Amino acid sequence: MTLPPLLTDPLSALVVWQLVAPVTALASIGLPSLLGRPLSERATTRIVAAAFATGFVAALVTLVVIANRGFAAHVVHLGRLFAVGHHAATIELVADGLSVPYVCFSTGLCALVNAFAGKYLHREPGFTRFFILLALFGTGMNLMVLAGSIDVLFAGWEFLGISSALLIGFFHERRNAVDAALRAFTTYRICDVGLFAASVVIHQATGSGDFERLFTGTWPHAACLVPPATALFVSMLLVFAALGKSAQVPFSGWLPRAMEGPTPSSAIFYGALSIHAGAYVLLRCESVLDAAPAAGWLLVAIGAGTALHAAVVGSVQTDLKSMLVYASMTQAGLILAEIGVGWRVIPLVHVISHAILRSLQILRSPSAMHDRHELAAALGGHPGPSDWSLLRLLPPRVARGLYHVALERGFEESFVSGLFVRPLLALLTSADRLERRWAALLGGGSADARARRSSDGGVV
Amino acid sequence: MSDTQTPGLIAVAVCIAAPLVGAVALRFAERLFNPRLIAATAVGVSLMAAIVAAACWHCGSGRPATFGHQLAGGDVVFVDGLTALLLPYVAVVDMAIVLVAPRRAFASPAVRRLLLGAAITFATLSTSHPIVLVVLWAVSILSTWTTIRSTMGGRGAARVYGLTMSMAVACMTIGTALLVADPPWLVGSGMTGAAGGWLVALAVMIRKGLVPFHSWYPALFSGASLATALVVTMPQVATYTALRLLVGHADGVPHELVVLANAALLTAAYGAALAVVQRDVRGLLGMLAMSQSAMVLAGLSGTVPTELCGALAVWVSSGLALTGIGLVAWAIESRGGMISIESLQGRFADAPALAAFFLLFGLAILGFPGTLSFVADDLIISGSLDDHLHAGVFVILTTVFAGIAVMRGWFRVFGGPVTVDAPRHAILPRERFAFTALLAILFGLGLWPGPFVQSLENVAASLLAARQHHDAPAPSGVHP
Repeated sequence: MTLPPLLTDPLSALVVWQLVAPVTALASIGLPSLLGRPLSERATTRIVAAAFATGFVAALVTLVVIANRGFAAHVVHLGRLFAVGHHAATIELVADGLSVPYVCFSTGLCALVNAFAGKYLHREPGFTRFFILLALFGTGMNLMVLAGSIDVLFAGWEFLGISSALLIGFFHERRNAVDAALRAFTTYRICDVGLFAASVVIHQATGSGDFERLFTGTWPHAACLVPPATALFVSMLLVFAALGKSAQVPFSGWLPRAMEGPTPSSAIFYGALSIHAGAYVLLRCESVLDAAPAAGWLLVAIGAGTALHAAVVGSVQTDLKSMLVYASMTQAGLILAEIGVGWRVIPLVHVISHAILRSLQILRSPSAMHDRHELAAALGGHPGPSDWSLLRLLPPRVARGLYHVALERGFEESFVSGLFVRPLLALLTSADRLERRWAALLGGGSADARARRSSDGGVV
Repeated sequence: MSDTQTPGLIAVAVCIAAPLVGAVALRFAERLFNPRLIAATAVGVSLMAAIVAAACWHCGSGRPATFGHQLAGGDVVFVDGLTALLLPYVAVVDMAIVLVAPRRAFASPAVRRLLLGAAITFATLSTSHPIVLVVLWAVSILSTWTTIRSTMGGRGAARVYGLTMSMAVACMTIGTALLVADPPWLVGSGMTGAAGGWLVALAVMIRKGLVPFHSWYPALFSGASLATALVVTMPQVATYTALRLLVGHADGVPHELVVLANAALLTAAYGAALAVVQRDVRGLLGMLAMSQSAMVLAGLSGTVPTELCGALAVWVSSGLALTGIGLVAWAIESRGGMISIESLQGRFADAPALAAFFLLFGLAILGFPGTLSFVADDLIISGSLDDHLHAGVFVILTTVFAGIAVMRGWFRVFGGPVTVDAPRHAILPRERFAFTALLAILFGLGLWPGPFVQSLENVAASLLAARQHHDAPAPSGVHP
């Protein structure tokens, strides 16, 4: 009798566990809730903590093992999900010098945020909902990072999007939170087209979604296996996909509003992990990007532009969370620019260090006033504002103009809204109005029967 | 009919007869038994019989089971892979409706009409005989029109439905007569048969709600009860008819299907886009249903197995998910009145469990990983791009708009300050059971899609074979 491959290969088992752990937590706390029997707060936090802690340990051990092997990629084939003709969706995980460090810090941060949120959200009505979404996020993050094929990566990417939107709208009774969540989801959905289309193009070009057929070699020195024209097309689509999740201009409007969510989720999503999902995808497909220099330069332009935009706009923000989120946007822009330039390890280090620092800052932000008072007490007085600012070097007239631009958030939203959103909505609303009039005409002027319907939902 | 086909045919007969028996039992024993119990038993028997019929087809040689008089290539009873797929699907939809329908809406006459409608749908999906199809079309449309008309405030919708469907039945009747007189699947057929094909295609366009004949779709969802709207639209009888009557022409180029496919692509994108600006949940559901059902026809008109498999998967996944979300919406309506989505309604605190189910069904519509619709979207988009680039672009646009519309609907219904100042409405056990079962199917097939996709591939292969082999018997039901 032969043992299943996962049992005979401990490294594969460790890689798989990094994915299975958050899935187990998700099922363990999600299913009882769906069946009307939610777990207690203590059981919920313990299950999630155990999942992320064991996932983190598994990732650490994996990191040590693959480091001893020179960071050569270890691919785990979990089988084929389905296949029709030449189109097949396979489940492959890959542990290499990019994915495993990413899993280490993502599961580690999730474990810490879980510990923080257990206290922070104590007796909050949506306590269980938060942890279900955190487990969903952890599942999506690990799925995306460990993906060995574009199909699996896309699945993880979608998990991130929906959990992010639902956590922004966590406080559903607040109008701003709900509007912000819908805005974030809409931006994600539009930009997801890039990743989905890239997935289809990769399938058509290589006959499979496996990364092994897209590029070969050890990260970050892989070689692209598709023709330059295909590489350029795929790269452009991936860049488009990254713009939404990483809140780059002109898709950055959702990020400042995303702070409507609870602090722990803000820390982990917009300070640490979700905002860098785009960077991860581009780093994963770095060889394709290398084969398409035009896409790289476009990325540099967008990243640098976003960094400048966020730095200017962030300087006039009047609340701590907004300042932090614009700082995050600045760093995300710089990271994408670094990837566009062709650097590989530097952006990875930048991502990890920025994620750790920013999530700490956001987690501490609710206590900022307390910290400030303690500092004042220690200094024996108010520390006062800093006199130094780069803006003071500019001529007053330019500084005033820049100040106006910053207050209007770079006119980014009015530009996007005026050029795309409002015309599209006006067109659709007009079409809908015409539809209703036509239906009313056909129905003898009474098609809009809803107004007269009783509130019992009618009869069968 | 051979001995090996007998069990499958008996199962189909039971599937059709059970709702009829249930309707008769309701007429005579409504005081002795709860109408829901009778209806659930009848539909439950149909469901079991449908599963047996599907199992018989899968375990058999792959040849269709036939019975009865044959005319113009069609059999009175015809059970192939498509029927084996659709019978259990429709039975599940009917069962969910029976379980979730609010008590005050479950009066005996209404339940009898529901059961009669179920029997007609099962019969339609089990035949390929042109005349039987025409008769069943007419009967089901008349039954639906009567039901809508008897709904409070539904006269306008009944008028819209009646006007459009009378056109559809007229086209279908004349078209079928011309098809029978001059079958285009025989070599040497003339203009008469071609005209018949185009008239049937026009009938399909109207009954399918394709642009520009789509006005009855939102009117139905607005004016009729959600049960009626779901029972009428989810089985997609028009798509089935197109596959039975428009496939296998001797010239090998089903032009009607090409036109239908392009109209369906336009409808899919247009419906999903309009869903984004709807003012109430019923409008949202109507537009989504119109869009998703059009996507099925667009995919089934393709020439690539991947695309056909995707279309069949969308047929089942969108149907189950829309049924689920429609029934959740109905459950919310029955508790707190009509649901506008022009502004935030704040229903989360009132019905958190229903909010969770609404969200999960919504995710199952928008192609969330782990659900059957993820597999379906993947297949249909890959296949569409293989077939025609513009088809893939339309399908991608459809999924984007549909996703935004669903989440906008969810946030508008459940988000915002609490507006219903009343005790929390708990979800009923029968509702929870029905919703959980639907979700189990959607997520189960999404997480383990291999066997299901393989069975879809067999059905797709038989549909493609019917188009390609003009001289050989066509498995989809049209024999030259």
